[in-house]
Amino acid sequence: MGVTCVSQMPVAEGKSVQQTVELLTRKLEMLGAEKQGTFCVDCETYHTASSTLGSQGQAGKLMYVMHNSEYPLSCFALFENGPCLIADTNFDVLMVKLKGFFQSAKASKIETRGTRYQYCDFLVKVGTVTMGPSARGISVEVEYGPCVVPSDCWSLLLEFLQSFLGSHTPGAPAVFGNRHDAVYGPADTVVQYMELFNKIRKQQQFVLVEEYEENPTSHRCVVGKEEEYINNLFR
Amino acid sequence: MADVLSVGVNLEAFAQAISAIQALRSSVSRVFDCLKDGMRNKETLEGREKAFIAHFQDNLQSVNRDLNELERLSNLVGKPSENHPLHNSGLLSLDPVQDKTPLYSQLLQAYKWSNKLQYHAGLASGLLNQQSLKRSANQMGVSAKRRPKAQPTTLVLPPQLLLSACWPCPQASSLHGCNMAAVHPVLTRYVDDVISRIDRMFPEMSIHLSRPNGTSAMLLVTLGKVLKVIVVMRSLFIDRTIVKGYNENVYTEDGKLDIWSKSNYQVFQKVTDHATTALLHYQLPQMPDVVVRSFMTWLRSYIKLFQAPCQRCGKFLQDGLPPTWRDFRTLEAFHDTCRQ
Repeated sequence: MGVTCVSQMPVAEGKSVQQTVELLTRKLEMLGAEKQGTFCVDCETYHTASSTLGSQGQAGKLMYVMHNSEYPLSCFALFENGPCLIADTNFDVLMVKLKGFFQSAKASKIETRGTRYQYCDFLVKVGTVTMGPSARGISVEVEYGPCVVPSDCWSLLLEFLQSFLGSHTPGAPAVFGNRHDAVYGPADTVVQYMELFNKIRKQQQFVLVEEYEENPTSHRCVVGKEEEYINNLFR
Repeated sequence: MADVLSVGVNLEAFAQAISAIQALRSSVSRVFDCLKDGMRNKETLEGREKAFIAHFQDNLQSVNRDLNELERLSNLVGKPSENHPLHNSGLLSLDPVQDKTPLYSQLLQAYKWSNKLQYHAGLASGLLNQQSLKRSANQMGVSAKRRPKAQPTTLVLPPQLLLSACWPCPQASSLHGCNMAAVHPVLTRYVDDVISRIDRMFPEMSIHLSRPNGTSAMLLVTLGKVLKVIVVMRSLFIDRTIVKGYNENVYTEDGKLDIWSKSNYQVFQKVTDHATTALLHYQLPQMPDVVVRSFMTWLRSYIKLFQAPCQRCGKFLQDGLPPTWRDFRTLEAFHDTCRQ
């Protein structure tokens, strides 16, 4: 596992998600990259059941259970700012058994699917982020295999990103700043994806708020977003 | 193809000889026809016999004439020249089916190619022999006669080193016959000492020495969190290096050091090539431990493999590779293509 940077590519003006993805892949192929199959990263959200919250009134925590096709036999479970657990695929079955403690926020499954490209030692994955049937954005992941220390090769990665993303090049991911000389691992990639998915979900936030007003019992609204709803109400 | 046969062949006489053969054939068949027809119908028996014999004689004489004509012409035709220089391969060129079996043209190409190869190899060996390429100070020829053929050749260290390393040993006096340097226990200890001294020299580089295959040392050099190098040595001379990534597996399934498989990443394959160039570049037959030290110093400059931009073009990436070349004197980083 080399150092990986996950970022979002904004949809080009006047073009659909599909067309922007096609533009990107064409640019990559012109650079000399070779197609090498497909990839998929998906994420399901669980929130702690109200029965376990207790009388302290603490906000329920959100837990994300993610899969990455790069590690097909593994399952990642993580809290937003907390630890990340790497388990095998039986973990999904375990979550069903833990229904009393963790309730799945239905219709919150978000995933990104796309093609993998290999260019020299770089592995580039361009995927379409979908929530349900609709496409919500574009994710771009670049992995530089040989290096395992993020602070070492950020400038190198940046140069490569600029060569095909142009002005949409992202800044350094937050996970890079956290651990200076620690070895990069798959959990860090999954954390980056989680942050990306949350960002994309927030972009659709206004739509959700209006829906909540119409139908307060809709279980599309996640418990932790109530605060934001209140803020938006008293704009 | 007609050129092969044209020397000494009279084509006109050849054509005439062919028609003479046809004439001879027809006169011979006339003879047999006459015999088959038998006697013609005439008034008297004598008349019939005479006519038959006269007819028969005429036919035989025409056969004789035609045969003489053919003999005369065949002497004029001449023999095809036999001194064409191609011998058997020239007979291959007579095969008319060129597109299905282009044997002759392929044969010609192979011959020209092998001639050119021989010529270039001769030039190259002349150039290479001008410079001495031996990395050790001693001659191999003297000890080769005394050694049995089955024993593998070992590099003999320079005599001063041998003496200084072997001074407590009673065999040291007979240096001339001491070609067992590599298996000498004192010398292996000397190699271990040199390596452990170098290990302590640089904080970010750790060297682990093992001898899984006999007496040649195998070093596993770990440079920070950037790369791992496997160095195979023959007494104190560096024989081979393989550079792999920090997260790559350097052991085989049995747990032994894997000294053959290449790295999965192109950047480390390039660095392996550069390291091989370096181990050939640093040569000092009289002081092999200085050579090892300079090689390790050069290797240490790779700690900034992913951080240093190229000194010539200023960029980090060229064809997807970072600057992998380190100058032998100044240790500056260059791309492989920006070297000179």
